[in-house]
Amino acid sequence: MSLFIAAIGFGLVTASVLAIASVGFTLQFGVTDVLNLAYGAIMILGAFLAYLVNGHGISVWLGMLVAIAACSVVSVLLNGVIYTPFQRRGASPITMVIVSLGMTLIIEFGVEAVAGGVPVSYTMGNGPTFSAGSFSLTGVQLVIIAIAVIVMLGVHALLRYTKLGKAMRATAANRTLARNCGIRTGRVIAATWAITGALCGLAGTVFAIDAGSFDATSTDVFLVLILAAVFLGGPGKPYGAMLGALVIGLATEVSAVFIPADYKYVIAFVALLVMLGVRPTGLLGEAL
Amino acid sequence: MNSFYMINLLVYAAVDAMACLGLNQQFGVAGVTNFGFIVFQAAGGYAAAILAMPPESANGGFQSYIGGWNLPFPLPWIGAAVAGGLIALPFVFLFGRRLRGDFAAVALLATAVLLNLLVTNYRPFLNGDAGLSLIPTPLRGQNMFSAEPLSYQWGFTAGTILLAVGVFAFLRRLTESPYGRSLRAMRDNDVVADSLGKNLLSMRAAMLVTGGAVAGLSGGILVTYITTWSPAAWGYAETVVLFAAVIIGGAGNQWGAVLGAVLVPVGFEEVTRYIPTSNNLPPNLIPSLEWVAIGVLIIGFLWFRPQGVLPERKRVIRVAGAVAAPAGDRTAGWRGWAKPRVVSPETRRVEGDGQQQNADGATARPAPQPDAGGGERARGDSGNSGSAEPAGAVVLEAVGLSREFGGVHAVHEVSFSVRQGTLTGLIGPNGAGKSTLLAMLAGTLPVSAGNVVYLGDDVTSLAAFRRARMGLVRTFQLASEFKRLTVMENLVSSVQRNRGDSFFGAMGGRRYWGTDEAAAVQRASALLERFGLTDYANSYAGDLSGGQRRLVEIMRALMAEPRMLLLDEPMAGVHPRLARRIGNQLVALCAEGMTILMVEHELAIMDEFCDPVVVMAEGAVLAEGTMQQLRGRQEVVEAYLVG
Amino acid sequence: MSADVTLRGLPLRAEGITAGYGGDPVIRGITVSADPGQVVSLVGPNGSGKSTLLKSLVGIVRVSSGTVTVGGRQVTNMAPEEIARAGVGYVPQVDDVFGPLTVRENLEMGGYLLPRGEVPGRIDKVLTVFPRLAGMVGRSAGKLSGGERKMLAMGRVLMLDPGLFLLDEPTANLAPAIAVALLEEHVRGLAASGAAVLIVEQRAKAVLAISDRTYVLGGGEVRMEGTPAELSVSPEFVESFLGGRARPVGSAEG
Repeated sequence: MSLFIAAIGFGLVTASVLAIASVGFTLQFGVTDVLNLAYGAIMILGAFLAYLVNGHGISVWLGMLVAIAACSVVSVLLNGVIYTPFQRRGASPITMVIVSLGMTLIIEFGVEAVAGGVPVSYTMGNGPTFSAGSFSLTGVQLVIIAIAVIVMLGVHALLRYTKLGKAMRATAANRTLARNCGIRTGRVIAATWAITGALCGLAGTVFAIDAGSFDATSTDVFLVLILAAVFLGGPGKPYGAMLGALVIGLATEVSAVFIPADYKYVIAFVALLVMLGVRPTGLLGEAL
Repeated sequence: MNSFYMINLLVYAAVDAMACLGLNQQFGVAGVTNFGFIVFQAAGGYAAAILAMPPESANGGFQSYIGGWNLPFPLPWIGAAVAGGLIALPFVFLFGRRLRGDFAAVALLATAVLLNLLVTNYRPFLNGDAGLSLIPTPLRGQNMFSAEPLSYQWGFTAGTILLAVGVFAFLRRLTESPYGRSLRAMRDNDVVADSLGKNLLSMRAAMLVTGGAVAGLSGGILVTYITTWSPAAWGYAETVVLFAAVIIGGAGNQWGAVLGAVLVPVGFEEVTRYIPTSNNLPPNLIPSLEWVAIGVLIIGFLWFRPQGVLPERKRVIRVAGAVAAPAGDRTAGWRGWAKPRVVSPETRRVEGDGQQQNADGATARPAPQPDAGGGERARGDSGNSGSAEPAGAVVLEAVGLSREFGGVHAVHEVSFSVRQGTLTGLIGPNGAGKSTLLAMLAGTLPVSAGNVVYLGDDVTSLAAFRRARMGLVRTFQLASEFKRLTVMENLVSSVQRNRGDSFFGAMGGRRYWGTDEAAAVQRASALLERFGLTDYANSYAGDLSGGQRRLVEIMRALMAEPRMLLLDEPMAGVHPRLARRIGNQLVALCAEGMTILMVEHELAIMDEFCDPVVVMAEGAVLAEGTMQQLRGRQEVVEAYLVG
Repeated sequence: MSADVTLRGLPLRAEGITAGYGGDPVIRGITVSADPGQVVSLVGPNGSGKSTLLKSLVGIVRVSSGTVTVGGRQVTNMAPEEIARAGVGYVPQVDDVFGPLTVRENLEMGGYLLPRGEVPGRIDKVLTVFPRLAGMVGRSAGKLSGGERKMLAMGRVLMLDPGLFLLDEPTANLAPAIAVALLEEHVRGLAASGAAVLIVEQRAKAVLAISDRTYVLGGGEVRMEGTPAELSVSPEFVESFLGGRARPVGSAEG
């Protein structure tokens, strides 16, 4: 039982990292209709940029800011220079997937070429450990959870209360009609990629902090977790992604209590395949 | 040049070529995008390993795996192919559902990653991430301490190349056949291929299993060459490399697949040999940059040259010489059913000067006159006037047809009949239910209530392609041609009975299906001649103008030897002159015994060509008669003006 | 619309419009115009190109030849968002609301170009025009009934007070009584407030009753044009509407 409680704690941490990543991924899909499989690669790019900063003796939390900025720019460029031209040409969804896989190779192995194949870690402390019964988390882990909560609230506020956020939702729902309202959807889309790119960089750094040691290929499996969370909640639905992240995060960690830890991700894979096979629009009903 | 180097190069080239040929068959020819492809090769590799290896304990038990039956060559290789084919079967399930292309791709990618993870972590299965080693070589048993003699290695290489050639020939025979044409049609437009009666699921399953077996074989050969195999060799990135190879070489072209294998997996391997290594550079730099280069190549080719270095070849079908219908012979295409019935002269109008212009301006042969059927025609039609006498027996009947969507009646208890030899029009304002009714008659939409009676048989529960086989054929409103097939191929692919249109039929070779094919080609040639598109026989259907594509659509429906055609807005968006020409062709067809029911919005067309015309409004039949009569009827005018 | 809402009417001149979706053109050489204070209607059977014409006027479909001017300004083939900023309000036939957004948010999107302070007041005005929407401002648009959706679609375009309205079958799928009410009260009211209105309709009779001028389209071309008075007594009107071989009134051989 105590293992179970502890697992919930870890599950919340995983869910936090997953939530930040999944919300970004699903918003990108919602507004451009592209499954950006290079998302994982951009995450690890952010992680390594933070590592670079960290290597100069600067706190990794400041390095995180660099990651956020850089990944934001990279994502805007990726959409503007690669995805949009292909879409304008009428590329099929399959072609777009292959393009995004090509970008994954370029970014992921570009990082590996520069950073080397050896796993690295941040120079940072874990902070004090907080325990409540079997529940035990380090300060860093609590910070990660806190960041995730703040990000979720921020995304919610953006989408519900700001003009840009509503324009993003409108563009995702009906791009032509949005244009008929005078919305410059090109700019809205670029802004969306900038914001989600920032989330991607944040997620990458936080992922690397939580993982301890990482290399350029560390996010390969994590991407499947993101996809599981996204499709559980319904592609394009940010609140669905948040829910999906919570479910997947908890389920993977809790399952490790019952089955060998090496297989804990199996649950996520099964969830993904089941969702795609049975209900590709997600568990939730209509969108936000 | 070093012998061992050559051998290594050739073996890898042959193995990679095989794998690419298998992937090309799935992706390039049949349009099955299988991002889990590498799993098939892995399955083959492992199967060959555990079949060839001695039991676990034999080498001191440091490896743990299932199997170990120490089977002699060639059983491990055969087992590899079988394993590759078998493991394809669960994948069929993923393709069975109508899932969006990119979602399905993600599912397959995830499956590959999952399987890799499971094998890596579950040690007793296939020795986990350490993989298997000390795999016995064919015909020699295991001999890890001394290298095999050169003659053996050359023999191995020759055998491998022979197998690759065999795979090439086998796949070629499969693809250059009516079956291969159906595969490509499925790739281009699976919905239409389905409606023509092609069994999509069976074709996809066959391609997955075939490609899987080929990949499995390649894996088996590779494993017994390098005598080791581990999960690291088959991550998802390996699939991306193979896709890159097929795309760069040319998807849909078998030589392209071979070229791609040489350029990408092999090419990269070789190029890196010649890059000077330096101790200052990190050891992983070159391999990492290789991956980056592959990514760049993929995107570069998809942008600048998506068809690849060797694009898919056009299959040119030689159109039989001057196809002139001898005097007295019915225009080729009809096997002869009911004799054409008497037709009232005033409801038929043909272009006054009898000479028709082709869509592109060249003059064609004179349009067949209604009595070109020689002696078959016209017994005493001179006395007929107006539509007092029905033009023939009832071919198709709608009996109380209804269709509702969520409580709303799109079609409500519609009953009417269509008579032989008539060009019957179906009109009505927007939302009247015309397209829904047509779809129910064709079988592409199930009925909520009522019956469809065709030639006296109740066909209400029959699927569309079965009705097509009985002679009731429909056309589609939107572009539905197979773009990357030639016009000739488009026509010939819609033939219902061709012995070469199955997997095993294709294997029979031209000797087996040649006659059926020639017959289909001849019919198609005659149709092309009739509709004035002979010059376009070997043009890609996607290159034709909109009006020409409409003609191809109609011709394709005619290839199915229908007795009755259901046309869904055949003139929509077509230039008025061409629309008139199409109308004349339709009239001529009816004069030869065809029955046509046509939905159209352009009422001028109805006026000129159709008799009778059925008006629908709000899901029910409103009136029936000629356009002139209908225009005079108040309720019809109201229906249109009120909308 | 209440009389104190002043609209700057923008005249529309579309000349020789040929457009299509790539490949063969769907409409050829169409010339229509609408002046402020007028309701001009486009009628004709399905497939005659009415929707395509409107889409080509707002930049959704590419115009291959011809010019479009709004308020004297050339807007041919401009991006839809720029045409909207030029004062053109377009209500499409389908996909006419933002399904996942609430009624209020839909209206806010309609008022996207307004200064922020003006939006709430404008929303209130629109809700007085469509009181039924007032009771459901928090409901997501995808859950509205057909008639309510149409009202919301109209309300959305009213937010900006455009000088030119382009309406594509606003009464489609509405019960006849409601349809007539929509046309007579709201559409006619738009013109009464000074805007120019170009409306496409299947309900020829009903829309003729509120029109100042009507074009009859067929086969991608203008078959006839005239005032409702002229057309209703013309035998050729019914003919050309129902596909007969009518010569367009007062224009070149078609």
